[in-house]
Amino acid sequence: MSHFVRRLAAATIFGLGALGAAQAADDTKIALVPGGPHPYFAAWEQAGKDAAKDFGLAAADYKVPQKWELSQQNQLLESLLSQGYNGFLIFPGDPVGAVSTADELVGNGAPVIAGAGCFKDPSQASFCLGTDTGNSAYLGTKELIKAMGGGKKRIAHFTGFLVDPNTQLRIDAVKKAAEEEGSEVVQVIADIDAPEPAEEKINAYLAAHASEVDGIITTAWVPAVVSANALRKIGDKRIHMVGIDHDEVVLQAIKDGFVDGTMLQNPYGQGYIGAFALDKLRSGCTVKADAPFKSNALTAKFIDSGTAYVAADKVDTYVDAMRAETKKLFDTFEQTYLDCK
Amino acid sequence: MTSHDAPIAAGPQGDSLERDQNTLRSSFFLTNEFGLILLIVLFTVGFGAAASGFLSPFNLFTLGRTAAVNIMIGLSMMVVIVTGGLNLAVGAIGVSAAMFCGYLIEGLGLPWPIALLGGLALGAALGFVNGWTVVRTGLHSFIITLATMSIFFGVMIFLTRAESYRALPPVFASFGKMKILAYFSPLLIVTLIAALALSWLYRRTVLGREMLAAGARPEAAELSGIRVGRVFILCHMLSGVLAGIAALMLVARNGAAIPAMAGQLGQDWLLPAFLGPVLGGTLLQGGKASVLGTCLGAFLVTMLTSGLLLLQLGEFWIQSFLGLLLLLAVLVDKARRTYLARRNLA
Repeated sequence: MSHFVRRLAAATIFGLGALGAAQAADDTKIALVPGGPHPYFAAWEQAGKDAAKDFGLAAADYKVPQKWELSQQNQLLESLLSQGYNGFLIFPGDPVGAVSTADELVGNGAPVIAGAGCFKDPSQASFCLGTDTGNSAYLGTKELIKAMGGGKKRIAHFTGFLVDPNTQLRIDAVKKAAEEEGSEVVQVIADIDAPEPAEEKINAYLAAHASEVDGIITTAWVPAVVSANALRKIGDKRIHMVGIDHDEVVLQAIKDGFVDGTMLQNPYGQGYIGAFALDKLRSGCTVKADAPFKSNALTAKFIDSGTAYVAADKVDTYVDAMRAETKKLFDTFEQTYLDCK
Repeated sequence: MTSHDAPIAAGPQGDSLERDQNTLRSSFFLTNEFGLILLIVLFTVGFGAAASGFLSPFNLFTLGRTAAVNIMIGLSMMVVIVTGGLNLAVGAIGVSAAMFCGYLIEGLGLPWPIALLGGLALGAALGFVNGWTVVRTGLHSFIITLATMSIFFGVMIFLTRAESYRALPPVFASFGKMKILAYFSPLLIVTLIAALALSWLYRRTVLGREMLAAGARPEAAELSGIRVGRVFILCHMLSGVLAGIAALMLVARNGAAIPAMAGQLGQDWLLPAFLGPVLGGTLLQGGKASVLGTCLGAFLVTMLTSGLLLLQLGEFWIQSFLGLLLLLAVLVDKARRTYLARRNLA
């Protein structure tokens, strides 16, 4: 993870940073706040540091609530505003319940962008910058079915927190992709994006039903790691798997042939570009009325931060794939989404 | 609210009662309440000097708003602790009441004042289920409410399909965001009214005295003609209503009724529910209620959380600090009681 972040950071520092530094507001103090502790968001820390350096921000700090509790996140956000933070990239602790806090932050002059997960419309968040999770899960399932040789296959789907706004989108997308190919999702296990429940439920399921599934799709970080380890322990490469994200365990399992591939997301790009956009919004830019936003189940102001499938042939150069996604989005971001007169 | 709440140990005779009250007044400086006031003053000065933004209008406003909800949650637990029991289902009851209120508004189109009453009525009804089950089975309320916590929350999730109610009248969100004199949230007034009502209940009414007596010594209370079972059920119903009020205050704060407002199974409320009463000096054995102490304890905890966040000590240390505080409070209380006993002050 840190290796990934460092490499991606180096690319952005030299490749992208100079573009925005000249027009930064030097009193911009941005907080990047996830819903709770989770390895996915670790890349936001480096992204914030790089953004602060590249764009001349007073700060772009990664601040984590102690637990995945809406009240904890609300308290942290209120505290950060009192500390002088004036721009927020937030993964909503609850897509509905966090709207009130976001609106309050905006009401106090601090722009808000949703990162990695969206607020439910209507909200005063400028937009949502995240993975098109439904599309990522859909593409991942298609890749899995392709790896299994197509046809009527049985798929198990391991996914994240039910309170995560993305989870239902992923469940629906996997089901849709499977049905299109004539396959069947025989089991969905959710709410397991933490080590203990993931270990318990995935291992128990595979111990009892491994012979009844042909493939596994995982759409959350921890289930991907646990499933990759489980398949390695079983040692039977009959069960195919497509994971998500870039944990070293998953990448090594791809190299060793226990996992077919992984759907990369772009948390670094979300943090970096999110900090850039918040600074622009504080500097007088506005969101274009005709910006080409996408829609998802939560918002009509969605920007896809990019996703890519990486199999064994590209696993050693996966950083390049995400670097390309970040650069592609950053190069045209201001022109496409912002109005800076 | 009075400075010291009613212990049931007061003697039956007028002279004895007066003497006891004089003794209590003279030992006020050894009470939990005084200790908490002192700590609040000290931490206010400390955080004001060390934590940038602590005394800013916005921080004081959010501090008051969060404290208002935490105090209400603490009171909800306190009224059951008075009986020598516990209510682990405060969070589940609260969320169920809030979601029911949301359903009455969005699903049935009822006016919001009626929906509010409906939500509180459900809180009371769920409290009745707890109390009735505790009384009828004779099992400890810990076991009963542990079970009903899962049942209430599970049924709520099943019926609502975990969907939020957010098309609530704007008056809800406006109330949650409203500022009085730039510093104060009106939620504090709601809490203050509830606390005053509870103080009045325990100090001035027969029912309140019966609750304390039944909690202190159920057998003795029964012999003196108090219907202990009925009183226990009423305590649980009161707890359900207070939990419902706390949840409706959160609805105002969030602008929506959401199933996750108290976390999975409502467990997020358990720590604030215990911290307030325990720090405030409410006896876990029952028989004594400290409304002022619960308010001060919950306020202190909220203030510490706010101050520590502002000091940027590290978000992960706060939970540990609160746990240590709870342990320290228990030890200090034990030392205080030992001291009072040696000096024949209690």
